[in-house]
Amino acid sequence: MALSPFASRSPSMTVASPNSALRLKAAASHHVPGQAAAAKPESKPERELTEQLNDDVRRKYIKGALEATAPQGTIEFSLRLTDRIGKKLGEGTYAIVYLGHFRDDPSSCVAIKKIKVNAEYKDGLTMDAIREVKYLQELSHRNVIALHDVFSSKDQNLNLVLEFLPGGDLEMLIKDGDIHYGVGDVKAWMGMLARGVWFCHENFVLHRDIKPNNLLIAADGEVKLADFGLARSFADPYLNMTHQVITRWYRPPELLFGAKQYSGAVDVWSMGMVFAELLLRVPLLAGMSDLDQISKICEAFGTPTEENWPGVTQLANYVADKAVPVQGRDFFLRQFPTAGPVGADLLMSMCVLDPRKRATALQVLQHKWWTTEPRPTKNEDLPRKSGTKKMGDDLARRGGETDDGPFKNAARQLDFGAMK
Amino acid sequence: MAANYWASTQRRHWLFTREKLAEVRERLRERDKVTHSQFPLPDQRLLNIYFNQQLIKLGKRMSTRQQAIATAQVYLKRFYTKNEIRQTNPYLVLTTAFYLACKMEECPQHIRFVVGEARGLYPEFITPDVAKLGECEFALISEMSSQLIVHHPYRTLSELQTELPLSSDEVALAWSVINDHYLTDLPLLHPPHIIAIMAIIVAVVFKPSHPGNFGNSAQSALAGAMRDGGGMGMLAALSDKPGSGPPRIQKLVQWLAESEIDIKAVIECTQELLSLYEVWEQYSEKHCKELIGRMVKSKNLDK
Repeated sequence: MALSPFASRSPSMTVASPNSALRLKAAASHHVPGQAAAAKPESKPERELTEQLNDDVRRKYIKGALEATAPQGTIEFSLRLTDRIGKKLGEGTYAIVYLGHFRDDPSSCVAIKKIKVNAEYKDGLTMDAIREVKYLQELSHRNVIALHDVFSSKDQNLNLVLEFLPGGDLEMLIKDGDIHYGVGDVKAWMGMLARGVWFCHENFVLHRDIKPNNLLIAADGEVKLADFGLARSFADPYLNMTHQVITRWYRPPELLFGAKQYSGAVDVWSMGMVFAELLLRVPLLAGMSDLDQISKICEAFGTPTEENWPGVTQLANYVADKAVPVQGRDFFLRQFPTAGPVGADLLMSMCVLDPRKRATALQVLQHKWWTTEPRPTKNEDLPRKSGTKKMGDDLARRGGETDDGPFKNAARQLDFGAMK
Repeated sequence: MAANYWASTQRRHWLFTREKLAEVRERLRERDKVTHSQFPLPDQRLLNIYFNQQLIKLGKRMSTRQQAIATAQVYLKRFYTKNEIRQTNPYLVLTTAFYLACKMEECPQHIRFVVGEARGLYPEFITPDVAKLGECEFALISEMSSQLIVHHPYRTLSELQTELPLSSDEVALAWSVINDHYLTDLPLLHPPHIIAIMAIIVAVVFKPSHPGNFGNSAQSALAGAMRDGGGMGMLAALSDKPGSGPPRIQKLVQWLAESEIDIKAVIECTQELLSLYEVWEQYSEKHCKELIGRMVKSKNLDK
């Protein structure tokens, strides 16, 4: 619990040192947890209630890394359950992710994402952390990673208790040559992705970082949209947003051209790119730079012009080198034979250059591909991969950041300036 | 706006009944009776007026959106339902609420800039150390259980503008009424659409004869008209016998009847607003400043 806005008190009244906190807790350890807080000294009554609330949340979970500051009871308990507890799932520049579980049910795992706060609080909490907490607190859907709780630990770190998703992510499945999957599997994954994206849009939230390694897989095979570090609510009409979002390979042409007002269509484009990547098993448009990305898009789908996209030449960063005609249905049929003609139609509707003509998440869900044979694979029959390391890495990564890091700055650039 | 109000944390965790809110505050008071008698503070609403003015001053040079100021005010209210104001440095808390609200409403300001501005305004109460603000931000988030999205009535107002329809004068007045409601407890007591309807009714029923610029607050324009009581009677009639009054108001009443909105709650909000305008007459910036300053200084809360 942070004591910050309050006056510095005499040492006896603060919980400053972990040791004294531990002693207090130890003294109370023979009580049931609810009474532990009540056993604190009378001298700081004004903090009691709120601290207790936070403690109640923290006490619900067990995490090894908390040991130094955790209530006495926790340590005893965690020692008994040695190897599963406090396992570090991954670490990134932004957070460390630990494996934890509910105190009263050791079999129910959770991922505890401990946000690294600059020790000196130099710049306040990052927008990434704020956004993640902000949206996950409100969004609850089968295909969106669940945030169970948030608590702060004594060393003043923010801990997000997230749903534990041991199944890795879609990128791992795509890259793993030992895993074979078919159209039914792609249809199942895409269906879950589309429902998650639709739900976000229905709640006026843009995700802005959809890509295979942000699509995590639960133990039951369900795909969950994770990493809301770049998410934001739809802007009020005419208010500008930054175009420096979405990992480059999945970024739609309007953002590459510097559009400051955009819609859910940006997420639909990313979804289309994920769809293509699932079919091809390599990223469809792997640009080396923003300019290269634009020319790759032009080569693949056609050059945006005033004819096929009224107003495009007015966008700040519009460029057009060679004029490639817009690709028709044949191209998609030829390029993505595995999807079948109906699947190719769906993909084509998601990759329309003009965002106004691109399918919406709802239209994607209403497409007839979902009801065309083959049916989507049942969750329990989907190909899967075990291993928990990956989830940690995914969660610990900062929004917009990838393994090789060329997009690291996209997230940082969000914070100031461009959005006014 | 984001997410669905009906499923929101605001509706689930931050909506109080009047009794509950009184109880929460009484409990805070009980816990520290001595400080309470030692450091009397003005009426909560007068304090709110003072805080609001400070937030506007802070935001001035950053051209902050009204919505961020509104969010900051709601954060202050939420924070002070869990913490006794006399244990805090209100200047630090309000600066932090402002800083966090700007981030939440997608108009972020750099922490150094915010601290710089705040120091310019309250050199005695804000230290140059930005870490202090970062630390306080953390506390604010914890105290609010990381539930940060606030739903405001402004959007309901703009949506209803075309549906009813409302003239631009009426919208401007209703907008100012909404600004004013943040000075009361209403944001903790009623959902945003009720507030928006209240603001619309007040704007239509009490429309002052000389329309013009109402500025940030509707107080000067409305206080007199509302006190005269003519409109209050009309409002009371809303609930039992629709069909009286001028046609413009009749139309609104009919729309309200069809909308199945909780008229009782709307009337209660109107009364709350009226009493705010009455209390407002006693407002003295100097007085608030002195009392808070004395409290912070003698308790060393500024360190």
